[in-house]
Amino acid sequence: MGIRFENLAFSYSDDLRPVVDGLDGAFSRSEVTILTGASGCGKSTLLYLAAGLYPGSAGTLRSGCVEVDGKELRKLQPPQRARIAGMMFQNPDLQFCMDTVRNEIIFCLENICTPPEEIGRKVDEALAFCGISGLGDRMLHSLSGGEKQKTALACLVAIKPEWIFLDEPFANIDEESARSIAMKLGRLHSEQGMGILAVDHRLDSWMGIADTVRVMENGKLLGEKLDARHLDPGQLESLGIIVPGGSYDPSIPPAKLGDTVLELDGLNIPQGGSCLLHDVNAAFRRGGIYAILGQSGSGKSSLFGALSGVLPYKGEARLEGRSLRHLRSSDIGKMGFITQNPQDQFIGGTVRQEIMASLRRMPDAEKRSEEILRAIRLWRYRDISPYLLSQGQQRRLGTAALIAYDCHCLICDEPTYAQDRRNTIAIMDALCRQAREKNIALVFSTHDRKLAEDYADMIFEIKGGTLNAVS
Amino acid sequence: MRSLNPACKFISLLAVTVVLAGRMDPLWNTAAFILSAALIIVSGVRIRTLLLLLLPVALAALGMFFTGYRFTADSAMPVSSAAFLSGSSQLVNGITQASRVFAYAGLGYLFALTTDRILMVRSFRRQFHLPQVFAYGLLAAWGAFPHMAMEYRKTKAAFRARGIRVFPVSPALLAPLLVKSVRWSDELSIAMESKGFSARAERSDSSPAKVHLRDWIMLILCCAVLPAASILI
Repeated sequence: MGIRFENLAFSYSDDLRPVVDGLDGAFSRSEVTILTGASGCGKSTLLYLAAGLYPGSAGTLRSGCVEVDGKELRKLQPPQRARIAGMMFQNPDLQFCMDTVRNEIIFCLENICTPPEEIGRKVDEALAFCGISGLGDRMLHSLSGGEKQKTALACLVAIKPEWIFLDEPFANIDEESARSIAMKLGRLHSEQGMGILAVDHRLDSWMGIADTVRVMENGKLLGEKLDARHLDPGQLESLGIIVPGGSYDPSIPPAKLGDTVLELDGLNIPQGGSCLLHDVNAAFRRGGIYAILGQSGSGKSSLFGALSGVLPYKGEARLEGRSLRHLRSSDIGKMGFITQNPQDQFIGGTVRQEIMASLRRMPDAEKRSEEILRAIRLWRYRDISPYLLSQGQQRRLGTAALIAYDCHCLICDEPTYAQDRRNTIAIMDALCRQAREKNIALVFSTHDRKLAEDYADMIFEIKGGTLNAVS
Repeated sequence: MRSLNPACKFISLLAVTVVLAGRMDPLWNTAAFILSAALIIVSGVRIRTLLLLLLPVALAALGMFFTGYRFTADSAMPVSSAAFLSGSSQLVNGITQASRVFAYAGLGYLFALTTDRILMVRSFRRQFHLPQVFAYGLLAAWGAFPHMAMEYRKTKAAFRARGIRVFPVSPALLAPLLVKSVRWSDELSIAMESKGFSARAERSDSSPAKVHLRDWIMLILCCAVLPAASILI
């Protein structure tokens, strides 16, 4: 019993190169397998192909086949498919269609034609298994990211598929929820024999339940099968996977700090009825590089969201001495943002327009945009929409667009998220050189303490709902 | 009102609007509005919420009042000074038009504020044979709607981060939102499919929407008694 891929080739469009390219391989149901690799290597696509969602929903299958327990899921109707393979997605906001937790689980059970008299019992069992019995009648939009992922898991528990596929399920939730969900998945595997295949670029949440780690690179599955219980850091590093603690050897000019450009004074960020971050005080100076560490869900993105004006805040944040709430029109744009999801920062209709938006005041903008696009290997895509690029290409474009822009303070929300070691170093070197050469304050968030230590002049950490200076 | 079958409630309230459309009587309009407002409040909706919702209605009613007041059937065209003198037929016409706005809004709010959307979808599917892909697609879109406001703010911030000021409804601002909404609908449909939802496949129904005696009474009152009374009175 397992999943088998045979000479699989898949692309999102006929004129784009295949995302999965002549892939062969197999995964056993008796093992919890984590599939990892750099962003854009094709691991999520492979998961969607295994679940039978592609090519029906997107793209073209150029060759080969995928079989799950001997069946090609893409040829089955959704209700039959759901009994074999259930899926948990990365974005907890875009996977529900009903209003409450209970109604969502009922919706799933009705889809697979569960007899009405069994539905109530199955819903209660699924809620109890996931430890969310108290949330049954809560509206889905009022739940936290972790609670939403537990609801998604409860849907799978109710359906009881033979396999559970997970696409970076912990990317947007706090560590505690991630750990709790991972433990429950481990129980589903050991007690009910469900096969588990998870795509994740971070391995730490899976330690303890994972049996095997497989690595993908450029649309192919690498032959090596790693034992998740005895991972060798050297081996992971040679495969391009970031190993916590590994050094980056940055090559950036020394610090020459100037005046304070951004100042946070008693900042409070509310969330729901409580306070997510309180009493945040910090000063960021020209030419300085500042790292903000913190677990998932600790409030790093919310802090940046407040500074960009997306989220409300109390207290004071000043850019060059002027309150962010009362910026003059000439001050708008002095603070640039690189968002965790590059799609949140795209404003151009084409790849080239995205770069041109940053260079529009420069006399040689056309020439400069060509140079930048050639340097990041996106010149051939200059006339297509940025949304059509792969995730890795989108991140390169998003970073390059903001590096080209002339701001006084650059805020980067996890700029190296889901990148391999080579891309991480390239992105960080480019950002830090920009900060030093143009004398701007660079503030970036990361999970990786070593990355912060290697690149930042000063490190902050969000702990206990506030920002503390670490070094 | 909350316990009525949504499909029957919909037909009944539709019948009332048709009856009101056939009459030029401010008393009937006012009675329909007062009754609707009373039923909304009895159903547990806060008076403050209702008053806030009636604010734009009041503005529309004011506009309709002056339109009706100014353009009565017996008014002269083009505009003359006589047109600005108050006459009883002008006043009645203005009040009729304004009260009609309140009556229709009241009936609309009565349905919207006292109907559970999940129950409505179940009922429309069963009683009107609404295709399930349309019914559940609508529910999913409704669920994603609150995220639109956040995405709007994010897109605006992205422009600001590059020193570009945009107007609230600028096409430059709406284009990325449009692309994102298409991508969301793709993601949602994939998520629904992964949970076994299909446009064509048979589904079970855990709590089928039934038509009870109270629904029949409502239907008879609104679809037979009221039109008959309207003709006779």
